[in-house]
Amino acid sequence: MKQYIIIGNSAAGISAVEAIRQRDKTAKILVFSDEDYLAYCRCLISYYLAGEVKEEKILYRPESFYKENNIELLLNKKVIRVDSKRNRVICEDKSQFSYDALLIATGASPKFPETKGIKKRGVFGFRTLKDTKGIAGLLPVTKTACVLGGGLIGLKAAYGLKKRNVEVKVIIKSRQVLSQMLDFQAAGFVQKRLEENGIEIILGQDVTEIIGNGDIKAIKLDSDKAFESSLVIVGKGVSPNIDLIKETEIKFNEGILANNLMQTNIPNIYTAGDVCESFDVTRGEHSVNALWPVAVEQGKIAGANMSGDNLNYIGSLGMNSIEFFGLPVVSLGIYKVKEGDTNFTELKLCDIKANIYKKIIFKDNFIVGAIFVGDIKNSGIFLRLIRERIEVSSFKDRLLQENFGYPDIMDLVKDKEQVYV
Amino acid sequence: MKQLYYDVKKCLGCKSCEIACALAHSLTGELFKALKEEILSLPRKKVISSKDKNYPVSCRHCKDPKCVEACMAAALVFDKEKGMVLHDESRCVGCWMCVMVCPYAAIRPNIKTKIPLRCDKCKDKDEPSCVKACPTGAIIWQEEVVVEK
Repeated sequence: MKQYIIIGNSAAGISAVEAIRQRDKTAKILVFSDEDYLAYCRCLISYYLAGEVKEEKILYRPESFYKENNIELLLNKKVIRVDSKRNRVICEDKSQFSYDALLIATGASPKFPETKGIKKRGVFGFRTLKDTKGIAGLLPVTKTACVLGGGLIGLKAAYGLKKRNVEVKVIIKSRQVLSQMLDFQAAGFVQKRLEENGIEIILGQDVTEIIGNGDIKAIKLDSDKAFESSLVIVGKGVSPNIDLIKETEIKFNEGILANNLMQTNIPNIYTAGDVCESFDVTRGEHSVNALWPVAVEQGKIAGANMSGDNLNYIGSLGMNSIEFFGLPVVSLGIYKVKEGDTNFTELKLCDIKANIYKKIIFKDNFIVGAIFVGDIKNSGIFLRLIRERIEVSSFKDRLLQENFGYPDIMDLVKDKEQVYV
Repeated sequence: MKQLYYDVKKCLGCKSCEIACALAHSLTGELFKALKEEILSLPRKKVISSKDKNYPVSCRHCKDPKCVEACMAAALVFDKEKGMVLHDESRCVGCWMCVMVCPYAAIRPNIKTKIPLRCDKCKDKDEPSCVKACPTGAIIWQEEVVVEK
């Protein structure tokens, strides 16, 4: 009987398991997790912190999922090494398991800066349910908190804390929030909305020290200012969990390199999700796109191909959707162009009063990226235009019009129209 | 399994379907009362005009639904028997991932309710309200026909 090993019990891992089970009902499937929980909606931890999502709603699949799909789930079991020559994985507790096909979906871990005091009690990453419970446990004695980093994780953490009536400051080294998904102008809208709702944003400054004996008391900035704070959350990005393959022949760059089948350079080893580096359709090169929908998509393809299918992955791209206090924001692909770069052109619409900002970035007559603030309803169409590489010159003037929609592109997309007769 | 089809030649773009849809999903179901509801019921269908024709756009309940894959809250599931994407609103957090990935832009955000607007084929009724409301018979409710790709 064939044995599949899946390292990782989140978006990519679960989606791979489902794809395998669709094709192979009998094979043995082992899922390893270094966490202590059944698969949960990782992206909901900020809502859980905010008190908006209860624990029973955070499970990604019903409790019965593993039994129903005949999956052996090994929790708290960290795989520390892959032995690709002998087709086996080695765990922290020295136990070993062999596989016929392996999926590495180990995800990523928060990056911690080497700031003085970063190891103190009360400093958290914001990635896992365990992190979240640790933070939530301190809330009764927390009045002030600082978040380091103005990316998605940092801002969501700040949102969660604010909802729990903690006075929160976000310390951001760069000149804008969300610098990994928005341009300066779009970021301004988000910043304003956060500030209007009581989240303080401090730009262009970095934390030099976390102060306190035992419990945290304050943080110190490079401007020599200090803020009272008894809790610190670090949102300085994540790095792929690749330690387990570093001494193997599996190729990696920032993440583990995957081909268009989600396969590594070792034919029976696949990779998907936040740990993997796949072809990025907007950049034209391999890139890590650590995003939930991307992980699900990649896991599905990896699982299918592990169990004998031959699905082609057209590639990933950066895409994210968030909402803060009623302001929806979507970012797709390339969102910022270096000044003076003549390879790209832009189309822009900005209505400050209505809180609407839209930008489309073109390379030749193809869309390679877009930002939508306030009005995101057509973002799916833009995602399609990007992914299917549809030439847009014939309807470029329509793109930002209010009534632009699917009918404008239906003769150009890959799938034949099904419902209009 | 029944699906919605549209005879575009007959569609005048009168938006009766939009009104019927909003009404069908309102609390009272009566036009003048519905207009006064605290949170205004919005249509899950929109008529989009393109090249002199009108196209009613709403969720197609795709068999390989991108929205279900993208849903980070596990609020969406494709029900094979019903041929529908089911939405568990109690799990939805309004992150709009489904809006971002819908290839038809058929799911729209409702910022007030934080629940996306998507066609549920008027699941509690014998046929979708838009079908009855269309004065020209442009909206067709019939067993599924698969066009060869």
